[in-house]
Amino acid sequence: MSRRSGFKRFLWYTVLTVALLGAGFTLYLDLRVRNEFEGRRFALPARIYARPLELHAGLRIPLADVEAELRELGYREAVREGESGWFVRTREGLDIALRPFVFWDGPQAARRLRVSFDGPTVTSVRDEEDRDQALVRLEPVPVGGIYPANNEDRVLVRLGEVPKQLVQALIAVEDRNFFSHAGFDPRGLARAAASLVSGGPIQGGSTLTQQLVKNFFLTPERTLQRKFTELIMAMLLELHYDKSEILETYLNEIYLGQDRDRAIHGVGLAALYYFGKPVEQLTLAESALLVGMAKGPAFYDPYRQPRRALERRNLVLRETKDQGFVTMEQYAAARATTLTLNPKAAVGTSAHPAFLQLVHRQLRREYDEADLRSEGLRIFTTLDPRVQLAAERVLARKLAQFDREKRFGEPGLEGAIVVTDSQAGEVQALVGGRDARYRGFNRALDAARPVGSLLKPAIYLTALGEPTRYTLVTPIDDGPFVWKSHGAPDWQPSNYDQKFHGMVPLRTALAQSYNAATARLGTDLGIERVLATVKRLGVERELRPYASTLLGAAEMSPLEVAQMYQTIASGGFRTPLKAIREVTTQDGRPLRRYPLAIEQAFPPEPMYLLAAAMQDVVRQGTGQSLKNWLPPETAVAGKTGTTDEQRDAWFAGFTGNRLGIVWIGYDDNRAARLSGAAAALPVWGEMMAALDAEPLALPRPDGIESVLIDPQSGLRADLTCAGAVELPFTMGSAPEQRAPCATEIGVAVEQVKERARGWLERLFRR
Amino acid sequence: MKHHYALAVLIAGCASVREPAPVSDSAPATPAPPARTENVAVAGLMDRARADLASGRLANAAASLERALRIEPRNPRLWHELARVRMSQGDYAQAENLAARSNTWVGNDSELRAANVRLITQARTAQGR
Repeated sequence: MSRRSGFKRFLWYTVLTVALLGAGFTLYLDLRVRNEFEGRRFALPARIYARPLELHAGLRIPLADVEAELRELGYREAVREGESGWFVRTREGLDIALRPFVFWDGPQAARRLRVSFDGPTVTSVRDEEDRDQALVRLEPVPVGGIYPANNEDRVLVRLGEVPKQLVQALIAVEDRNFFSHAGFDPRGLARAAASLVSGGPIQGGSTLTQQLVKNFFLTPERTLQRKFTELIMAMLLELHYDKSEILETYLNEIYLGQDRDRAIHGVGLAALYYFGKPVEQLTLAESALLVGMAKGPAFYDPYRQPRRALERRNLVLRETKDQGFVTMEQYAAARATTLTLNPKAAVGTSAHPAFLQLVHRQLRREYDEADLRSEGLRIFTTLDPRVQLAAERVLARKLAQFDREKRFGEPGLEGAIVVTDSQAGEVQALVGGRDARYRGFNRALDAARPVGSLLKPAIYLTALGEPTRYTLVTPIDDGPFVWKSHGAPDWQPSNYDQKFHGMVPLRTALAQSYNAATARLGTDLGIERVLATVKRLGVERELRPYASTLLGAAEMSPLEVAQMYQTIASGGFRTPLKAIREVTTQDGRPLRRYPLAIEQAFPPEPMYLLAAAMQDVVRQGTGQSLKNWLPPETAVAGKTGTTDEQRDAWFAGFTGNRLGIVWIGYDDNRAARLSGAAAALPVWGEMMAALDAEPLALPRPDGIESVLIDPQSGLRADLTCAGAVELPFTMGSAPEQRAPCATEIGVAVEQVKERARGWLERLFRR
Repeated sequence: MKHHYALAVLIAGCASVREPAPVSDSAPATPAPPARTENVAVAGLMDRARADLASGRLANAAASLERALRIEPRNPRLWHELARVRMSQGDYAQAENLAARSNTWVGNDSELRAANVRLITQARTAQGR
């Protein structure tokens, strides 16, 4: 009696315990389902755009480059009346059907454009009615994003935007009873049970709700316990939410493929990625392809397995027809269409990761990392895809060529490039290494290398700031030079050609990059003063106040060098280099602008003299070979740089519209045996020649006058002096003395001429 | 130092320095010299910027001018207009620098040069210098 009742009691307690545990577990799951489903917002990556190409009459750009940009945007090259996102060539140029786009300052509607060209210049931009348009922006090319940790990417859609036929195809193939079941399908469950009994893996019979639960809350292993949890959660989900909410979430969550390291989620992004159009515009055949891929996006990848994907699509179409969702005619028509996919190449999270790193760093000053990876911010940058691609291509090609010529073994030469707009300080391109797709070490930002002679302009600028002591013709001693300081070994810089050149004019010392003369000049001026100039030019890094710093022992990244030369290129106005123009929320509300801000850091006269001297570097100095790429009229101002044992080759220079910095060397600091002129300069030249290089016309400040000088003596010349050159001087600083070749009267005539010219200029000011 | 050459610019540039005009936050400090550009796109942006400036939409005015400067970075009028917008925004330091930048490209346009010099003087006064 007592034993029996004891057993009964035990049984009773057991049942009760199990029931309580079960109820507790269910309650726990219920809490999770509601919390996570409700609180869950899809993490949306920050989207990063290049600068929009602005078309206007007078723009210098070859037609082919506009076409390339349109292709990059996924525009098709064929007339598609009634649609947007295509272009065709015409006799005058291009017809473009622009897609709508929400810019940071407002939306721009879809529109038709007629763009005419004359050679590499846009002559007119007109609308459909042939009315001239002053300025039209193309959509900016999306160049990547800042993604959630798992690199999930998606474009959210509302259920109402998804074509009905896509939903029907999905229902027909994945879950026919979706609209009637309570989260699970008894028949499917029975199949799962059968596979359990037979000992096989547990599979089959997942409703859309269960699939969603699986993707949302659970790990992918297939155990009985997990299957059970999935079932309970699916039922709970159905209890709390209606079918349309579940369906919409499913359509946004579903995994539909891989673009390198980027995971394509949701039908919104899949439509753009595979077909280059918004989900609303998907055809029946396209919808069926996506639905078919849900079963196994890699297995049915239409790019790699077109045949398999097509068969799967046709199966989906048949099921959709069999379920009565489409007619026989619709089915037959869809089945007959061939597979046409968006031709855009796989780029992963970005095609230009180096530039994106710069953007990311600038963003992190103002935004939380978590917000950047989830809030769907839209970042409008300064990247110019034309410049970026030119820089990437030239660097890769040239480095391969140098490697072949030099055969220094693996790993090969590396390089980095920074290109900016010389006036506004916008970074147009940034290359971090020869493999531009590689998202690791970014040499443009993070490789601090000795800058060699690139520091010299700071020394000459310091000197030219004292016109009573130094002009472009002041003789500088390029004799052997020894610098003694306490606690340091003697410093004896030698010249690149291992010779000393005696007394040379200041401008020649810079043009030929003489080390002894420059070291003497720098130490005469004072190292601290030169370093103050470097700082004023925009270099924030603290450089050591050693004499060797003057000749470029100082280490800087290519971006820092760009910041320094930017101030020279813009006439002494310092502008922090910027990579971002605007940031908006995902629906286009402006959050932040990065305005153009400048600060006059130097007076215009010494800056003008320095830039003119740097033009001499290219005209007749160490940068002469640039004439192989650019005509002399471009009048580039530049400087070569080569460090000890030729470990680093640099070229920094600017045209009328762009500043470029090129560095080449080995990561492991091997001697590259390539000078700045032999390695970095050709890269610079070839890159700038591929772009529209505007001639550099330096605006002459009022405090500058031109004086005819005899190069031999560095004294005043007249027209009878052979080889006399006209040189700029800060007003009143030119030598008074007459050159041996000149007569007193001749010099006086020259002086009168210069003065008269000054008066005439002032008189005829508009 | 900076004072020095800004002063030089001032002396070099001005035939007649007037009394600094009173500065108010909303109204543009100096009347705008007429726009001169060959480029229709730039002219359009400049017109839009002036309309925006007149109606107080200063951020938009600045954005239009920056867009125009990307097309014609050496147009001294654009730099000058941007200086006026910054003046209206109360950013006197930028106004001064932008007007100085305008002057480097001003060439023979003495009218614009004088307008820049006036703007620089006003920006300095507003900064208490």
